[in-house]
Amino acid sequence: MDLDVKSLHPLEVKTLRHVKPGEEFDTERLVMELSFNIGQCNQAFSWLAAKGFIEEARRSERVVYELTELGRSYAEKGTPEERIVEVLEQEGPMKMPELARRLGLENRDVGSAYGQLSKEGVLSMDAEKNVSSTGEGASERMKTVRSLLERAQKNGELEGSDLSSEEQQAIGKISKKRGASGVPFKTADREEIVYRLSPNGAAAREALIAAGMTGEEIGALSPELLSTGAWKNKSFRAYNIQSPPNRVLLGRRNPYGEYLHWVKDKLSSLGFEEFDGPLVETEFWNGDALFMPQFHSARDIHDVYYVKNPSHAKEIEQPYLDQVAAAHENGWTTGSRGWGYSFDRNFTRRQVLRSQGTVLSAKQLPQAKVPGKYFGVVRCFRYDQVDATQGADFYQTEGIVLGEEVNLRTLLGLLKMFAEEIAGAEEVKYVPGYFPFTEPSIEVHIKHPELGWFELGGSGIFRPEVSKSLGVDVPVLAWGLGIDRMALMHLGLNDLRELFSPNIENVRLRRNQ
Amino acid sequence: MPKIEVFQDALYKYAGKKYGDHELEEMLTVAKGELDDKDESSSELKIELNDTNRPDLWSTAGVGRQLRVYKTGEVPQYDFFSTADKEQDYGDRVVKIDPSVKDVRPYEVALAARGRAIDEATLKDIIQTQEKLCWNFGRKRRSIAIGVFRSDLLTYPITYRAADPDETKFVPLQMEEKLSLRQMTTEHPKGREYGHIVADFSTYPYLEDAKGEALSFPPVINSAYTGAVKVGDENIFIEMTGTELRDLILTANIVACDLADAGFEILPVKIVYPYETEFGGEIVSPFYFQQPVELELDRARKMLGVDFSPAQAKEALQKMGVRAEGEEKITVTVPPYRNDFLHEVDIIEDIMIGHGMDRFEPIMPSDFTPGRLTAEEEFARKVRDIMIGMGFQEMMYNYLGSKRDFIDKMELSGEEFIQIENPMTENYEFVRASIMPNLLHSESVSAHAVYPHHIFEIGKIAYLHDADNSGTVTRNSLGFLSSDGEVGFNEVSAHVSAIFYYLSRDYRLEELDDPRFIPGRAARILYRDQSAGMFGEVHPRVLENWGVQMPCTCCEIDLDTISLEE
Repeated sequence: MDLDVKSLHPLEVKTLRHVKPGEEFDTERLVMELSFNIGQCNQAFSWLAAKGFIEEARRSERVVYELTELGRSYAEKGTPEERIVEVLEQEGPMKMPELARRLGLENRDVGSAYGQLSKEGVLSMDAEKNVSSTGEGASERMKTVRSLLERAQKNGELEGSDLSSEEQQAIGKISKKRGASGVPFKTADREEIVYRLSPNGAAAREALIAAGMTGEEIGALSPELLSTGAWKNKSFRAYNIQSPPNRVLLGRRNPYGEYLHWVKDKLSSLGFEEFDGPLVETEFWNGDALFMPQFHSARDIHDVYYVKNPSHAKEIEQPYLDQVAAAHENGWTTGSRGWGYSFDRNFTRRQVLRSQGTVLSAKQLPQAKVPGKYFGVVRCFRYDQVDATQGADFYQTEGIVLGEEVNLRTLLGLLKMFAEEIAGAEEVKYVPGYFPFTEPSIEVHIKHPELGWFELGGSGIFRPEVSKSLGVDVPVLAWGLGIDRMALMHLGLNDLRELFSPNIENVRLRRNQ
Repeated sequence: MPKIEVFQDALYKYAGKKYGDHELEEMLTVAKGELDDKDESSSELKIELNDTNRPDLWSTAGVGRQLRVYKTGEVPQYDFFSTADKEQDYGDRVVKIDPSVKDVRPYEVALAARGRAIDEATLKDIIQTQEKLCWNFGRKRRSIAIGVFRSDLLTYPITYRAADPDETKFVPLQMEEKLSLRQMTTEHPKGREYGHIVADFSTYPYLEDAKGEALSFPPVINSAYTGAVKVGDENIFIEMTGTELRDLILTANIVACDLADAGFEILPVKIVYPYETEFGGEIVSPFYFQQPVELELDRARKMLGVDFSPAQAKEALQKMGVRAEGEEKITVTVPPYRNDFLHEVDIIEDIMIGHGMDRFEPIMPSDFTPGRLTAEEEFARKVRDIMIGMGFQEMMYNYLGSKRDFIDKMELSGEEFIQIENPMTENYEFVRASIMPNLLHSESVSAHAVYPHHIFEIGKIAYLHDADNSGTVTRNSLGFLSSDGEVGFNEVSAHVSAIFYYLSRDYRLEELDDPRFIPGRAARILYRDQSAGMFGEVHPRVLENWGVQMPCTCCEIDLDTISLEE
């Protein structure tokens, strides 16, 4: 057997080196010979037994006396007998009821104490039943009790085998096994295990001696050891480097936030400028500006959350309101024939919670630079059942590219770049898509190294009804990416609700896969 | 987005060719369709169609037609369409519109078909087309409702009028007794679903034939006698009522083309209006109303980034079923079943699809633009770094919640909260006006997590704010919470102090009386003499409301206020 003794604790080392093969030892012996306290003994025995270095030789019974709550009070403030003697010596004779009142004791307790003390010649009583001290001071028995109390307070308990016969006699009267709250000592029977070295323990002992380990090696390197230089003549105890470390509770990013952070950094590194906006939007920006007809099925009460109050915004910014309204009605000057219905200028002020990220792309148009690239990772709200595939609110990643020369092929190039840079895709496929605000519209499907083929996002060129009405005369590429699916994969999750988990432990333990 | 079910064999018959599953998936992209599911036992396919402006694709015949045309490049010809200049023979088939429907449901269009006994697949497809068109294109029957009838049982002319809801009675489909129109709106399942569309009118739309035989109570239900089309029927009459005439005519055209492709002979019907419509007082349906559209080819070249020859562009359009003539300026003849060319970009997209996606080579945009994060994001990142440095775990929460969590448990009155008018459940009825309830929610579900807890979130909050145009305001906010047996005011105050120190900003504190905190242990943060947040020891009543049994301190700081330079 290959014994690793380097990592033994000093208590183990000292124990192993102290006892010889064949000898018996117990707590009492180590306390006496090695100045261990009881706790240290127990620790050493439990570790050594677990390692198989010591084994049980036999068990021995012993009696100990533990100080009770009352006993501690006696030790500190005096026993009733001591207090009676003290009061009488200081204040002179008095009658028993008065003595009881004076000390806050029951009459019968004072009575029985008097009986005992008068027998021992400590107290006496005159004809008027005044009790007084004889001047003899404490009796031998009282002194014995005092000594027991003080030793017990110091050591926590008293070993029955340590007591003299007088002490045994005295403590017998003031201790009980059960219901000990009325007496100063509780009697307890202890079973003590007596150990001896196992063959492995004997081998370990040899190994320790061979290695010159005494248990006096330096443990933690303290400032004192450094300032005194005391470390110089000593060796250092080797630690068990395999023992499991403590857990660190660290300050940390939310892993999903970290992923979004990375996406934002990536997009800004690709030349995109970030946009953001308020959570409350109007129907104007949420749908009308995106050329979704006001009667469109996706604009139903069952698709968008309406704000209860204020139900309507005060106004919609001009000239965009007039231009968008005209584009819906007859195409305005966009070259479109429009939807051919009467635009509702009251409905357009209706307030909703933003339902799609494209809203902010459109809102960016009036102030956008040409050429320009913009993006946003924005919170959206959709009227839907909350389940593993959709939350009440979620992030969408959207953006636009404006330029005189951008066209379908640059849109495909852009999508290819996203597929490679953000999704790490191996293959990219483009298929015609449909969005009310882009024409042509393209969906990009990618072959992801782990997820296989899936739709990375939707895109297109903003319809002139959208871009021209918002003051832009150049083509605008618009795109949106399904980031959450990849975020889930990165985090090893499969439920979108988990991205917004309130559970601290889950979030603390979560990490990239 | 409509999803249709088609029998594979029927689809391939219309498509003129059999496809393997993978091949079919590829082909469906030209119809912006996705193969959603396939039932191997019945060989029934589920196809999702994404383009809400192409209702002609929402049937087996429609998808099959697009696939066939794409493959062959042959544009289908239908000879039964009337135009403004040329009327087809409508025989004795006339529908008279009574002036009384003008304010109730003003338009009606119809056609008849005869030919072969309807088989089960065709009947199923007719019913499905009817449902999809009414639901998605007809706004749940509001603007379009379709009825199919056994024309052998009908006598022309048919009248469309507004009728007395109580006096007018017939036996509706799925029932055996006569009901008044009003009774149908409450007693018939379809009445309960669609009755509300006409419920507010004093008279209800009603169709009857020359002999007074009921056809239907549109948009609710057909007669059980005339309107129960069965397998084996050879002659059918189809009509649609609604509020948008163009949409109705387009719908009739789609149905006519579908039936023609299924082998039926289409029999035109004349609709006689007592009032003018945009197509005159008499319309013979199916009616080709579309106008030719023009496109400068250079526009398509610029948008698609490819130098097409006129022949290539025309060939591409032909594959989409669109005939085009001309050279540099082409004139497009819109198919009778389509009305989605609002703008030349819509034609350009058809050129793109017809040309084939894989023939466009991706190129990178060459314009240089500097990338940049918002100032708010940059600031948030600084604050986040400080919080993490102080040992806080970042959390991310949903922004919607319940009155119970956001208001009641926080002991607030809630008047500044933004409420949702149409919540799906009371669990998501309010927008958060503070991050604190989210943080306490975390505590309420995390008693098992090793203490101490130090958590924070940087996110948006929104609340009512009169001065803004929307009457609300959205702010970027920092919320953080510490929980453990030892936490107290001093610790959270130290955290606040560190945040401001490392942001190089000064702040003042003043006493705060807030039900969320223990009185005397709460502070308001003032930055440039403006309120910028608050912190303190969370009141045990609030902790009790959340079922939290560990002391907590909490702080919230308005980042948009403290991001301003001193």
